[in-house]
Amino acid sequence: MKNIFAVSSIVIKELYRRKDFYVLFILTVLICLVMASVNIFNDKGVIRYLKEICLLLVWIASLVIAITTTARQIPAERENRTLFPLLAKPLTRTELLLGKFLGCWLASGLTLLCFYVFFGLLAGSREHHWPVVNYLQAGTLHWVMLGVVIAMTLLGSLVFAAPSSNATICFVIATGILIMGRHLNKVALHLPEPRRGILYSIYYAIPHFELFDMRDLIVHNWPPIAWQVCGLATLYALAYAAVFLIAACVVFRRRALN
Amino acid sequence: MKESHSADQLPVIEVKNLSVTYRVRGTRQPDKLAVKDLCLSVRSGEVFGFLGPNGAGKTTTMNVLLGFVNATGGDAFLFGTNVREPIARQRIGYLPELTYYYKFLTAEELLRFYAKIFGIPKAETERRMDAVLKLVELEGARKRPIKTYSKGMQQRVGLAQALINDPDLLILDEPTSGLDPIGRMKVREIIQRLKDEGKTVFFSSHELGEVETVCDRVAILHQGELKVEGRVCELAHQHQCNLEQLFLRVIGYNNGSSVVRSESDLKRDQFGPSFQHSTIPSLHSVP
Amino acid sequence: MWFEAWEGNRARSGDLLQTLLGDSRRIFANHFFVKADAYFHSGYYPTIFDNREAFETPHMAEDAGAVASNNQGDENGFLGKPRDWIDAFSRQFYPSIHTHLDEGGAQGHTASSGDLGDNSEVREILPWLRLSAELDPNSIRTYTVTAYWLRRQMGKVAEAEQFLRDGLRENPGSYEILFELGRIFDENHHDADRARNLWELALRNWQKVELTKPDPDNFLFLQIVSHLAMLEEREGNFHQALAYMELWKAHSMQPAKVQGRIDAVRQKISSAKSLSLEHPQPPNPIPE
Repeated sequence: MKNIFAVSSIVIKELYRRKDFYVLFILTVLICLVMASVNIFNDKGVIRYLKEICLLLVWIASLVIAITTTARQIPAERENRTLFPLLAKPLTRTELLLGKFLGCWLASGLTLLCFYVFFGLLAGSREHHWPVVNYLQAGTLHWVMLGVVIAMTLLGSLVFAAPSSNATICFVIATGILIMGRHLNKVALHLPEPRRGILYSIYYAIPHFELFDMRDLIVHNWPPIAWQVCGLATLYALAYAAVFLIAACVVFRRRALN
Repeated sequence: MKESHSADQLPVIEVKNLSVTYRVRGTRQPDKLAVKDLCLSVRSGEVFGFLGPNGAGKTTTMNVLLGFVNATGGDAFLFGTNVREPIARQRIGYLPELTYYYKFLTAEELLRFYAKIFGIPKAETERRMDAVLKLVELEGARKRPIKTYSKGMQQRVGLAQALINDPDLLILDEPTSGLDPIGRMKVREIIQRLKDEGKTVFFSSHELGEVETVCDRVAILHQGELKVEGRVCELAHQHQCNLEQLFLRVIGYNNGSSVVRSESDLKRDQFGPSFQHSTIPSLHSVP
Repeated sequence: MWFEAWEGNRARSGDLLQTLLGDSRRIFANHFFVKADAYFHSGYYPTIFDNREAFETPHMAEDAGAVASNNQGDENGFLGKPRDWIDAFSRQFYPSIHTHLDEGGAQGHTASSGDLGDNSEVREILPWLRLSAELDPNSIRTYTVTAYWLRRQMGKVAEAEQFLRDGLRENPGSYEILFELGRIFDENHHDADRARNLWELALRNWQKVELTKPDPDNFLFLQIVSHLAMLEEREGNFHQALAYMELWKAHSMQPAKVQGRIDAVRQKISSAKSLSLEHPQPPNPIPE
């Protein structure tokens, strides 16, 4: 475990020493502040549109950071030849991969924390109340979802040739599932066989990221969901992450390094 | 598989009938045989030079020892442990030919990271870090990010990370590559110091003059096969030539043309046309 | 230049949104108008994959009386029964209960005390309506719906009036906007004369435009006429009120109810006559 934590600490250091997070965070803050300065019929209490815009930016930024950070981990190690002195140590490939996953996931969690704190301050400045439980649930589920995305991207980094193509494909898949995943079964109902069967297979096979998207509940001040439901969703995400990680480990162990 | 040697006779590196074949994907070319039936052993306390022209199989052999590549046939052992097991690398330090490290880390952070992987306690890590940074003369730059380092400094930080765990075996892949004469001298001094401390050093190099100066034994590889192995002084005496001349002879370099020389050709050159196998000692001399 | 002669050249417009988006801004305008309705429902809203029969006419527009309703079907259960375990599980993570913001929204629905909460939450639809109006200034219903909620729920009469005037500037002579303006003067400023003027102008404009159509907008006609009738009745101009009520009855879906009002007004007329006969009004005193 110490090896896994050691590798993950390097990933976290890399994240806060690169510009990606700061650029996206500042951009989010600026856009939200500009949006907040708009005069809506002299009403200072309007907040939900701002919450929605802020959360949308948070989700986009978190996906960008998670996917781009993860997509370049193994390819960059290989290209920069830092992989060889690393694996010359008593460190297995599996430990390296798990360390990268944990590092990317923890790094994403830290960025999420910063974004959600900003969101909480922004929303609280007008609503004058802080539904901490709701925000905690939303943030946790968001973070757990990013774990699945990171595991998927890590597998992609071993399968696809270039980090850019991996990042693009993973981003398209993640966004596509978020937008359409919930509706595939409805579309399938209106299709003839065999397309219906194919679409249903995809529907059941994909990780349903929309299960972790509590934005509408947060924006419109719905009460928090039951903790058991959160727990089940977390287990669902961990299962998918495990599948992707196991596949990544199998691929990585068979891959020649040079 | 461990042989029944006593502890001090147990080879640090042992290679038995090692073969490595690379599959060339996407073309109809036959598989490339990088290393063929290599048998090698390095004993404790030796400085061993691993020589050969480009493409001879040196890096492939090193990659097998380090676990980067799996052998197609045969086995390799470090301190009696099969190289496929990660624990085999607990007591080694490795300096790659091209030294690139995490540019966003400082030298200190890099060494701490590697020390953590070795499981070295914090206090011990700090002590060793101070020692190796002093050894490679990077104390003044220890807190600077590695991206600000020159080529020579990066080479030295590479040496530092190879030494952080106080290894019993050091594997160096062309350690003086790209260094100026002062840098090369310092590397030679470090190798000599390690030898004096009883460490084993296994390195490949194209600088035959250095190899001759520093190494106890050498092996020359060509086209994946071991051509010559033995003590430097004995080989020089045997072939009545220096290491460079022997090297060129082994790889069949003859007046600008590269000709593959068989072992019998080499022996004829050495002993004359009337040699017979049974009366001539083998080129693979036993120390 | 040749492109300047091209009809619809966006570069001619000084408006940034029009230059950037062209005519597609109307699609965006409609999207944001619908988004306002989604906000009106605290996020509980059908997607293009769901049954939208009960949401054909946005409820916030329906409640504002701005448009006639085409809604049918079950607005509480458009999602239907869960089709599989994923569908069932996923309903925990998005709004799945029908609410209206002016009835408390999500908080009002879930409050155990029955307290509907602060129904000024309807303010949350305003940004999207404002954006929709910016994108498509020629969409009349955006102005009328926004003005209704501004003045009725938010108490922002001045803002509603200004917004309607902006709409009138973009859509000169719009009878819908004139009608809504008239409501402001009638219900908020209690200025019957100005309200009357505006409604009469609205009625004239309606007749000028709608009567030429094969299918005129009777919904708005009835609104104008009914409000004029009630205004005249309130002001004591019973004969004028009767005239408007006759018009109202002729086009109403419930003529019997209108007839009831007509009878009530006639009753008032006859009562007023008998009162004036019994108690003739004394002459005005001669000033000293």
